[in-house]
Amino acid sequence: MLRRTFTGLLLATALVSPVLAEDVTIKYMTFSAAPNYLKELDATIAAFETEHPGVKVTYETAAWDAYFTKLQTVVAARQAPDAFELNYENFVTYAEKGALLDLGPLVTADTGFDVGVYNPTALAAFSEAGRQYGLVESFSNVVLFYNKDLFDAAGVAYPKANWTWKEELEAAQKLTDAGKGVWGDFAPIQFWEFYKTIAQNGGAIFNAEKTEVTIDSARNIETLTWMVDKVNRYKVTPSDAEMAGQSSEDLFKAGKIAMLRTGIWLLGDFTENAPFNWDIALEPGNTQKAHHFFANGVAVSANSAHPREAYEWVKFLTSSKAAVDLRIAAGWELPAVSDPAAVQGYLDQPVPESREVVFQALDTAIVPPVIGNWNQLTDAVGKELEAAKLGLKTPEQALKDAKTAIEALM
Amino acid sequence: MADMAIFAETSMSRPTARMRPGLRLSDIATYILLFAGAAVMLLPFAWMVSTSLKTTGATFVTPPQLLPDPATLDNYAKVFDSAPVAQFLLNSIFVSVTSTALMVLFCAMSGYAFARIAFKGRTVLFYAYLATLMIPQQVTLTPLFIIMNFLGWTNTYQALILPSSFGAFGTFLLRQFFMRLPREIEEAAFMDGAGYIRIFFTIAIHLARPALATLGVFAFMASWNSFLWPLIITTDQSMMTLPLGLSALQGRWTTDWNVLMAGTVIGTLPIIALYVFAQKYIIRGLSHTGLK
Amino acid sequence: MSPAADRSKYLALAVLLLPSLIGMLAFLMLPVLSSLVLSFSEWDLIGEVTWVGIDNYVTALSDPAVLGALRNTLTFILGYLPAVVAIALGLALLLNRRIKGRVVFRAIYFVPVVTSWVAVSLIWKWLLNPQYGLVNFALGAVGIKGPGWLFDPNWAMTGIVLTSVWKDVGFVAVIYLAGLQDIPEPLYEAAALDGATPWQRFWSITFPMLAPTTFFVTTISLISSFQVFDQVWIMTQGGPAGATSVMIELIYKNAFSYFRMGYASAISWILFALIFAVTIAQNLLQKRLDRSDG
Repeated sequence: MLRRTFTGLLLATALVSPVLAEDVTIKYMTFSAAPNYLKELDATIAAFETEHPGVKVTYETAAWDAYFTKLQTVVAARQAPDAFELNYENFVTYAEKGALLDLGPLVTADTGFDVGVYNPTALAAFSEAGRQYGLVESFSNVVLFYNKDLFDAAGVAYPKANWTWKEELEAAQKLTDAGKGVWGDFAPIQFWEFYKTIAQNGGAIFNAEKTEVTIDSARNIETLTWMVDKVNRYKVTPSDAEMAGQSSEDLFKAGKIAMLRTGIWLLGDFTENAPFNWDIALEPGNTQKAHHFFANGVAVSANSAHPREAYEWVKFLTSSKAAVDLRIAAGWELPAVSDPAAVQGYLDQPVPESREVVFQALDTAIVPPVIGNWNQLTDAVGKELEAAKLGLKTPEQALKDAKTAIEALM
Repeated sequence: MADMAIFAETSMSRPTARMRPGLRLSDIATYILLFAGAAVMLLPFAWMVSTSLKTTGATFVTPPQLLPDPATLDNYAKVFDSAPVAQFLLNSIFVSVTSTALMVLFCAMSGYAFARIAFKGRTVLFYAYLATLMIPQQVTLTPLFIIMNFLGWTNTYQALILPSSFGAFGTFLLRQFFMRLPREIEEAAFMDGAGYIRIFFTIAIHLARPALATLGVFAFMASWNSFLWPLIITTDQSMMTLPLGLSALQGRWTTDWNVLMAGTVIGTLPIIALYVFAQKYIIRGLSHTGLK
Repeated sequence: MSPAADRSKYLALAVLLLPSLIGMLAFLMLPVLSSLVLSFSEWDLIGEVTWVGIDNYVTALSDPAVLGALRNTLTFILGYLPAVVAIALGLALLLNRRIKGRVVFRAIYFVPVVTSWVAVSLIWKWLLNPQYGLVNFALGAVGIKGPGWLFDPNWAMTGIVLTSVWKDVGFVAVIYLAGLQDIPEPLYEAAALDGATPWQRFWSITFPMLAPTTFFVTTISLISSFQVFDQVWIMTQGGPAGATSVMIELIYKNAFSYFRMGYASAISWILFALIFAVTIAQNLLQKRLDRSDG
């Protein structure tokens, strides 16, 4: 309680003071910059410091797997960095638990600034109960990557936007060549893939109000059956044992997978390391189309001693021309800005040919069905999906058990 | 057992007076078994080194290739390119050496005190020491971080070093050792008017050398391989230790196994080198540290 | 005791014990105590700590995840403990024979002991690779089709056990070697005069005489195997389908992924009670055995 009052006071002081305090150091923590984009982060900071004399930014990085262990510990010790990166799912948890500063008043007071620079859907993802707890930094989605050379060799037409699961399966069956170790199709059987795939068949984990668990609906059972059948019945997708510890991305790069549903964060890697012709397309759906939408945002700690400077940094990092240009040039995710000119540089890159698919997929984007106990939800459902994948449970039984597990978390 | 000779030489290398000339059938069987076992022990390491010298193409083949063809040092170059590995290495060496030295000293002193000095509450205190071994680090990490933060020590060498400079395992190990140590020599020194402190520093600690070496290797190993604590307590790349720095080699989406293995070799070699160097003492120490 | 001797004793304690005590208090005991306090509270690490009494313990004792993890941990122990003790004992008997080169062998068998779990786990993840790994290749060479190991819920725990036995067997063997040295030679000479076979000598002399060593190694191996984690985290992350989910893995997830530090602490203290009870039981058993011996 005392802490909130204190923060409020600090914030009030910050709002009335006409200029930024001198010689302030902002601590920033990130997972997306290391290890590949530290140069771009350094350049962004340099540009920011030139524009804001007296404000310095220092940063810490941690690999994705370790980032949240570290962030939670520093938050627990009341030592949170002034600003830190959060993916959308964790954002909801941190916002609900009161760890983040409402940036609304700062944005309102910031007369020269218009939130119209952000993609509105992406920005809205980082508000919770009417408060803007973070600014959106980047977004990404998942599309269908395909190996053109394998399609040509098998004499199969390239995927089209109007493809459904049926056409996908037919193509996959023609493309699969067990002798050569080539698989026609790949989509992982795990929670993230599942909530999107059920949407492609008109299903969902919850009802619209998130008051009821609908994960075991007939449609969803049908969907999970389709996902599992691609591995066990049609044998167009390798099982875990057949993949033998290689990721689907590594197999794609080795020319062993013809169609792969994966994230646009791999565009750069594939451009550099896939020694064949490939392109991207919209994902086939069953009754409708659906694509993932992931976003990273940057939030200011509720305990920051320099909320105003931290806000300036967050704003600069997410929306300034300098930062956006650096990101696009380096392929460091896709800035969630609304100005088409700003992302033209992204579209202009020659590989893959159909880059516009990335933006087309946004028309049918769905966000993760986040609830408070999100990590528990993903683990519990993931375990059931794995049981179905391994044939330990029928899809129907797995989803029934998943429903019971989710209800215990709500 | 009160025979000093037993500490002067390992009993395993007793004079082999009884050894008979010529090989018996049972000796041949012993050799076959030991060689097979040794192969099982060493093959995985050979594979690790071999993978670190392979190209990605040569890794995913059946049957598995034991000798890299073609062999390349690229993976090592990639490890050194990815991050300031030399800085990580220096940090790791400094932190591990310092904390090992402190650990051996503190544990020897406290182990001696527990073994030789009778005082009120000794048993209870000893159990309190042991209890720290049975609570997983995962739940003590956050309180420890809060303590360090209270001391203003986040992102410092002392915060990296001190928590691994104390431990119940070492105190326990050395207490057992000192308890089995014959009292006669110390009693002679007592007669000459020496106190516990002098006896410890002039006699006991020297007799304990094999046990100290044993603890030293285990302490060094623990500190060298520690990941979770350095992750939480360091904020600068310049303070990071090797396991932490190398953890970035395992990507979120794709893993380059060859580079990862090169990193693993870099992290593993120093510890194996240290072991080979201290091997003689460790086995001797382990054989006599009150393992009953 | 004279006052002077008393003074000297307390001075000695201050010099020898105090530094260790201060460090242990600050860096180990205080955090351990904090976790005990936290186990009676609810703390999401972000908000305030709320006292909830024994709620966490009540929840944990009926939580299927805790019971599942406990079952898997016990499965691990059942596979690991007898194997590591039996193989190490056999190895120690071999290494105890007076043959040339045993110093070198002893050194080789100890190398995995000093190697980090991260390295060992990564290496074995590969060796157990169903397609490209050496293990299935070797099995295939003798006509056995190897299982999917870490990808097969029925075999994943076996893979973890195999890796753990491989890493620890050298450690246990060295302790057995020390035990073997303490068996008086005349016992064997007398048995040889009576015409006992090596097999009879092992069961009538070696094995009973090694009982204290066996107690020691089972106790320390039991304590450490209750806390099995690193190899699981790197090799399977508790999968597939929860087949290798163990206690510490559950604790880690609750503490850092589910924002349930209080609950994680409570599970830790339940684990502590388990380990403690087993250790005490072991000790009592040993004392009884010692008495019946003497």
